[in-house]
Amino acid sequence: MFKKTVLLLAVAGASLSTLAGELRVLTHSSFSLPKEQLAEFEKQAGVKLSIIKAGDAGEMLNKLILTRANPIADVVYGIDNTLIGKANAAGVLEPTSSKVGRNVAGISLPGAVAVDYGYVNLNIDKDWFAKHKLAVPASLDDLARPAYKDLLVVENPATSSPGLAFLLATIAGKGEAAAFQWWAKLRDNGVKVAKGWSEAYYTDFSRNGGARPIVVSYATSPAAEVFYSKEKLAAAPTANLLLQGGVFQQIEGVARVKGGKEPQAAQAFVDFMRGNAAQQAIPTEMWMYPAVAGIGLDPVYKHAELPKSATTPTLDAMQQHTAGWVSRWVRVVLKSGN
Amino acid sequence: MSWPLRGSLALLPLLFLAAMVAAPLTRLLWEGGSAFNPALLQDGYLQWRLLWSLAQALISCLLCLALGLPLAWVLARYDFPARGLLLRLLLLPFVMPTLVAGLGVLALLGPNGVLGINLQDTPWLLLYGNLFYNLPLLVRAGVDGLSQVPASRLLVARTLGATPWRTFWRVEWPVVRPWLASALCLIFLYCFAGFGLALLLGGQRYATVEVEIYSLVAYELNLADAGALALLALAVGALAAGGYALIERRLVKDSRAGPTLCRRPQGWPQWLQLAGALLLLALFAAAPLLAIAMRALQADAANWQALWDGEVLAAIGNTVRFSGAAVLLALALGLAHGIAAARWWWLRALGFLPFMVSPVMLAFGLLLLYPQYGASLWLLESAYALLAYPFVAKAVAGALASLPPTLPAAARTLGASRWRAFHRVSLPLIRPALRRGLAFAAATAVGEFAVTLFLSRPEWTTLTTLIYQRLGRPGAANLEQALLLTCLLLAFALLAFLIIEWPEKNRAAD
Repeated sequence: MFKKTVLLLAVAGASLSTLAGELRVLTHSSFSLPKEQLAEFEKQAGVKLSIIKAGDAGEMLNKLILTRANPIADVVYGIDNTLIGKANAAGVLEPTSSKVGRNVAGISLPGAVAVDYGYVNLNIDKDWFAKHKLAVPASLDDLARPAYKDLLVVENPATSSPGLAFLLATIAGKGEAAAFQWWAKLRDNGVKVAKGWSEAYYTDFSRNGGARPIVVSYATSPAAEVFYSKEKLAAAPTANLLLQGGVFQQIEGVARVKGGKEPQAAQAFVDFMRGNAAQQAIPTEMWMYPAVAGIGLDPVYKHAELPKSATTPTLDAMQQHTAGWVSRWVRVVLKSGN
Repeated sequence: MSWPLRGSLALLPLLFLAAMVAAPLTRLLWEGGSAFNPALLQDGYLQWRLLWSLAQALISCLLCLALGLPLAWVLARYDFPARGLLLRLLLLPFVMPTLVAGLGVLALLGPNGVLGINLQDTPWLLLYGNLFYNLPLLVRAGVDGLSQVPASRLLVARTLGATPWRTFWRVEWPVVRPWLASALCLIFLYCFAGFGLALLLGGQRYATVEVEIYSLVAYELNLADAGALALLALAVGALAAGGYALIERRLVKDSRAGPTLCRRPQGWPQWLQLAGALLLLALFAAAPLLAIAMRALQADAANWQALWDGEVLAAIGNTVRFSGAAVLLALALGLAHGIAAARWWWLRALGFLPFMVSPVMLAFGLLLLYPQYGASLWLLESAYALLAYPFVAKAVAGALASLPPTLPAAARTLGASRWRAFHRVSLPLIRPALRRGLAFAAATAVGEFAVTLFLSRPEWTTLTTLIYQRLGRPGAANLEQALLLTCLLLAFALLAFLIIEWPEKNRAAD
């Protein structure tokens, strides 16, 4: 039996060594593109693609930073504007650019190539508000009023990317001091904090078995609700709540990893992510808007909404203050401090 | 068994634990350095986290014992149709992905629950969730322990005029105690270091220490503070496991020399006991599963068809492959560890090590220590095996320790070699325990542990990861498919349990 185990381990060990011509792509767990497109890329670039999923984007970046002496990937996709400053400061990325496509105005990432963008904001359960004959909140401050007690669920910014994005939007929208005062009021008004998006959306949101009709999600979620509905719906069951100070513009990008192998194939992958095929697939695969200008959207996107404005802190501010803001948020909301 | 032999057997699991637990943890602590913030431990919030983690783990243990022991007694003593199937069904909660278990619990006791009581955001729901996951552990251990009591002893006690109550305390309790202690130790460790259901059902107010460690490591990369907390949690776990091992040494009684007592209930009071026990089990272990199954059955035809998809078939294949390999590894490691630990208490305590260490620390430590193998199947398999094999080790060690040493000794006197005595005498006697351990190992491997923390590849998608992918997007179709996939997962798990614990001819061995 022990011989068998040793043999098993040896066989497994032998298959580990990186094959020549393998491109290792690190992504967050939401990465998704049609298999045929990835196969087509392998054929064109002449490499074998190894997609490695490393959890949530924040967790992924930390894994990359931790192993920078011995990089676990050659190219990374999914680092967004909340993380790019930290990534650049840690020196894990090779400055990357791409000649493919032209960016949508205002969509770019320093040192990396923008691939897609989207908005984190509040979603509401339309049925719930209709049934309870309650007016939809018109401002963030409304959410702290007694009429909206116990109606909101947010993700913990210390464990979730959309949770962090929403916190950052409130800080940019209200200013730091006012934002944390508002969060303290929200805490007293019964805001619920869930660990991540799936928990919030599927166990706390009233649309799915929970009791709370307002959730932090994405501006494309109502369109996804229609796209993945049982019988094709004419209207989305959820709606965006685009409140001043409650909308965050998220930009995701791709970059080569410093010290990675296969630099040419890595650059080819960067260009591939900017190419027409990938850009057209992204909206209904990852529910983000294409960063390249002039790409047509799936008709279901009429149920999504492109917010007119968003409050997003500057990259510098996010790099310097995000960690401090998150600890302060934990102190205010979870520890009931100030 | 002589100690050099036992020592060499112990070497395999010890090396494995060193490579998979001690080394990565040390490496990560080293990376963090000693720069941790001492004020951290004086923080009232963190002290509350620690206290709450301890309190809910202890309460869950007490509740499991109070509910589980009577249940185990009824299931061990009364025979009824499909009893064997029920004992195997008991392992199913173990396989449920946490998020789906949460959905099941909420479908019963949530705001729109079928029972009409909303317990969301109350501690009751958390305790219910903990019972759902852990009660089966205690019940199975109790049934196995009680099955060690020979019928002759019970009948003698009764003939001599002892009441059933007195018989229980004087004859059965001493035998079942070590089995219960080991299950309770495991339940404590699970609940204390647990991440999942409590947090899911209660929100961040009920976060355990592990959640803080996760956030410090995965989001802040604050390894110094995380390391301090992880060591503290490890110390609590070590106290629990060490304490258990020391107590168990005194508790172990030789047992099992003859057929055991398990017969049809006679008279309505006994039938009533059985009915009550089954009702309790239905309420605490089966109800959330049934709620999920009911909702899945209402799924659209299109979503049923979506099950017949290349992605799903590949996931089924991976689930079978990975958990199969993990069970084989667990068998080898568990047998070696269990045999060596039968007479060494510290080795038995060490068997709980994989459940004492913070999983996120382990995952990051392994990545740091073996970056080149970070995304290898080998590492993932080892992680599966790490969390699966203690069940086998525990079962083997426990069964061997309670085996009367006279039996293999008699075989040796009659000229059997050491190997032959083990193979022909000890092994057949511990086989039911071994199979039970393997079934739990399979449940752990099929379930989600370690899945989300390690690097993974799309081509390694298992049913559990596929369920989480579906629940990572909005939309009714995604939810329905996740529920259907869960039913598929449960069906496969049940099949695995039936194969591993195929009923032996000796019915009482269950």
